[in-house]
Amino acid sequence: MQLTGSHTLAAPIEKVWQMLMDTDILAKIVPGVSRLEKTGENQFEAISEIKLGPVSGKFSGGLTLSDIIAPSTFTLNVSQNSKIGNADASIKINLVAVDAQQTEISFDGDAKLSGLLARTGQRVLSGVANTLTKQFFSNFEEEIAS
Amino acid sequence: MSNKYIGKAVKRVEDKRFITGKGKYTDDMILPGQTYAYIIRSPYAHAKVNSIDISHALSAEGVVAVFTGDDIAQSGINGVPAGWQVNFKNGDIMKEPPHPLLVGTGSTVKHVGDAVAVVIAESKEIAADAAEMVEIDYEVFDAVVNPADAVKEGAPLVHEAAPNNIAFDWEIGNPKAEVDEAIANSHHVTSLEFVNQRMIPNPIEPRSAIGLYEPSTDRYTLYTSTQNPHLIRLLMCAFVLGIPEHKVRVVGPDVGGGFGSKIFHYTEEALVTWCSKQIERPVKWTSERSEAFITDAHGRDHVTHAEMGFDKEGNVTALRIKTFANLGAYLSTFAPAVPTYLHGTLLQGLYTTPKIHLDMTCAFTHTNAVDAYRGAGRPEATYLLERLMDLAAHEMGIDPVELRMKNFIPPFDGVNQPGYQTQVALQYDSGNYQEVLKRGVAMLGYEEFRKAQAEAAQSNKLLGVGFSTYVEACGIAPSAVVGALGARAGLYEVGQVRVQPTGKVSVYTGAHSHGQGHETTFAQVVADKLGIPLEDVEIHHGDTETVAFGMGTYGSRSLAVGGSAIVKSLEKIIEKGAKIAAHKLEANVDDLTFADGKYTVNGTDKSVAFGDIALTAYIPHNYPAGLEPGLDFSSFYDPANFTYPFGCHIAVVEVDKETGKVSLKRFIAVDDVGNVINPMIVDGQIHGGLAQGIGQALLEGAIFDENGQLINGSYMDYCMPRADDLPMFELDRTETPCPHNPLGVKGAGEAGCIGSTPAVVNAVLDALWSGGFGHVKDILMPTTPERVWRAMNS
Repeated sequence: MQLTGSHTLAAPIEKVWQMLMDTDILAKIVPGVSRLEKTGENQFEAISEIKLGPVSGKFSGGLTLSDIIAPSTFTLNVSQNSKIGNADASIKINLVAVDAQQTEISFDGDAKLSGLLARTGQRVLSGVANTLTKQFFSNFEEEIAS
Repeated sequence: MSNKYIGKAVKRVEDKRFITGKGKYTDDMILPGQTYAYIIRSPYAHAKVNSIDISHALSAEGVVAVFTGDDIAQSGINGVPAGWQVNFKNGDIMKEPPHPLLVGTGSTVKHVGDAVAVVIAESKEIAADAAEMVEIDYEVFDAVVNPADAVKEGAPLVHEAAPNNIAFDWEIGNPKAEVDEAIANSHHVTSLEFVNQRMIPNPIEPRSAIGLYEPSTDRYTLYTSTQNPHLIRLLMCAFVLGIPEHKVRVVGPDVGGGFGSKIFHYTEEALVTWCSKQIERPVKWTSERSEAFITDAHGRDHVTHAEMGFDKEGNVTALRIKTFANLGAYLSTFAPAVPTYLHGTLLQGLYTTPKIHLDMTCAFTHTNAVDAYRGAGRPEATYLLERLMDLAAHEMGIDPVELRMKNFIPPFDGVNQPGYQTQVALQYDSGNYQEVLKRGVAMLGYEEFRKAQAEAAQSNKLLGVGFSTYVEACGIAPSAVVGALGARAGLYEVGQVRVQPTGKVSVYTGAHSHGQGHETTFAQVVADKLGIPLEDVEIHHGDTETVAFGMGTYGSRSLAVGGSAIVKSLEKIIEKGAKIAAHKLEANVDDLTFADGKYTVNGTDKSVAFGDIALTAYIPHNYPAGLEPGLDFSSFYDPANFTYPFGCHIAVVEVDKETGKVSLKRFIAVDDVGNVINPMIVDGQIHGGLAQGIGQALLEGAIFDENGQLINGSYMDYCMPRADDLPMFELDRTETPCPHNPLGVKGAGEAGCIGSTPAVVNAVLDALWSGGFGHVKDILMPTTPERVWRAMNS
């Protein structure tokens, strides 16, 4: 499944970068994440609860950041397991300063689903992905405003 | 013999318990001390199991045991074998990697749903929760799902022992060079590349199994949702678990539909039996619906290129086929036979085609096993032939009915005319193919239809008609013949008739009923043969403890083979009864006639009722000298040939030009299943088969993504046919008796599913052709609105 999207945030690029690199903030703005703990350099352990159409589940697993070039790009590697199947994704995130006060954030990646998640969730996946993306950006905006 | 029941629409005796919800299925059983198994399955299609950590699950409250593949391997168990051996063209034995009960550490899982561990607990819920605590580390590899892709160089390998994923290759028919030449010399060649998509059987009752080991007697009982308990017992005892067969009882109680998918010996059956021995308590496993999608054997899944040659007059000159058949990750019980002996041997169809060659490659892929599904190989043959027929008629500008009539084998009854020897090994028993097509066309009102179609062609709602005529081989099967073809079992049937002292009759059949109504049909035969009321007969089946070694139900065989075994026993009963009657009547056996339930001395009014004979047989005070007491006979019947039902199916569809939506308007089926014992049950079987065949044409089909994930594995996405997808069926039948079994019956279980699919797809194409889309040769099944719309707009 392809994951793509972009959004312009009302904050300077450095601030956006800083927020993305802050575990506490990230845990707040990523939809469904209930716990995010740093386990090593650019390595995290995450627990999240996500509802995908007819199936919902509690996911846990690792998150790693790689190919980091501050403040413009990094790759987020996600490997989440659950009773209803596993999700593995690699998402490249890019930041571009629109002007001094605005930053365009875009991402492009691919997710592989397995198990019950793939069997029953497929039909609604893109809809769910869009909703989660919207939530992420709106949470991000709120966090910037606060 | 009387004539009270045979041929009559007797209401099914089993319906009282089924309709009132009192059927007793495996999952309904709760044995004392029963535990529940939850099987942990691979979420990946192809991955190495690096490690399994069961420690957390083991310590959870309520968990009785957790087993992995390593435990199974330690007890020396290899896995489940196939029941049929097919050899490569060069004579090598097929590749047959065993199907492990659980995939152990260091081994690879080969499809989504492959079993890795089992948690056994005091309740289903505890087992499922504890399963979440089992930590399994997988290393995921690329997968291959399409059989034509699987055999290409460099495709991900399913089994190291099977290079290029080829389980075996196989051919049948005339020498390839002769067929090539005939095709090359043909006036016209119709060529078609198509897919017969993968179908998921979806019986209403998911599979279930309970293993029970009793240490005090060292005996096992397996309750399982199966179509053939004896075969399961034999395979499991002798080839999987290595336990003595006489210490094992297998019971297939009420079973809620099978459609082939419950023929096979599944790993779960051996697993619960093995587990029950380990923990010395009963172990039950019942498949969840979602689990059924990824563990039941699927059907069909062929990728085919077929060419049919014709001369100037439209006579078929040759048929050449290359097919890749998907067998899934492991060889299921019947799997090797389905695309070969149940498919290649039917490619003569109803036509006089002089040269035929099938080149078959059977491939392993990272998907669940593919095996028999209602029709098993024969629907694929009929689909191929009948799609080619309608397409050829279109291409050559000949009417599709005329083209068939021109090429049909002339009528033969197998008595006055010999059976028809095909180019592909079989000899048909009897057939009158012209008659079924003639009747079907008359029911359609062909001329009026073509007029209505021409008018509709000007509108947005196109009309189309599709024809399909089929012949199939059922009544499976003569043991010597199938043995020569690679079957590892005989395919006779057993029938025991036990007359009780009061004249009531208990019948034990090796056939198994899971929706077919044997308890009624078989009782009709017995009641009429003995001239007694239907209520005095009870049919027993499904328990290896009470029934002699029988072969179960599949391949539309039960009445033709199982019924014939019962008839043999009935003949022995009547013959012995005559000796007792002669003694009682002080007459000569040769002077007696048995009719309407009594023995009568010819030319007199002296007679004795069957009930009196029964009582005398068990209270033999005044009895013929030297005659054994009792009235109880068992017979084995091994058929002389397959039986060959045939028929004509006609579909009328409306295609919305703007949306591509296909609506099935009419469906006509004229089937000949030989003599009919219960017309209502035959109609019911035809109805069900039609629904499944039409479902394949319009709605159903498994979809795997490139990672081997089944992405429509639920009823939200896998579209089963419903009543409102179907018109009222218009049925008729002819009755051409089978010349080689005592009932003259052929079999009706699969016919509906075999003939219907191509009729519907042909009708969709005919609609498109009438609307000016004459260039469209094929639309992939299921013919969804999107595919039909794209065909019109490409």
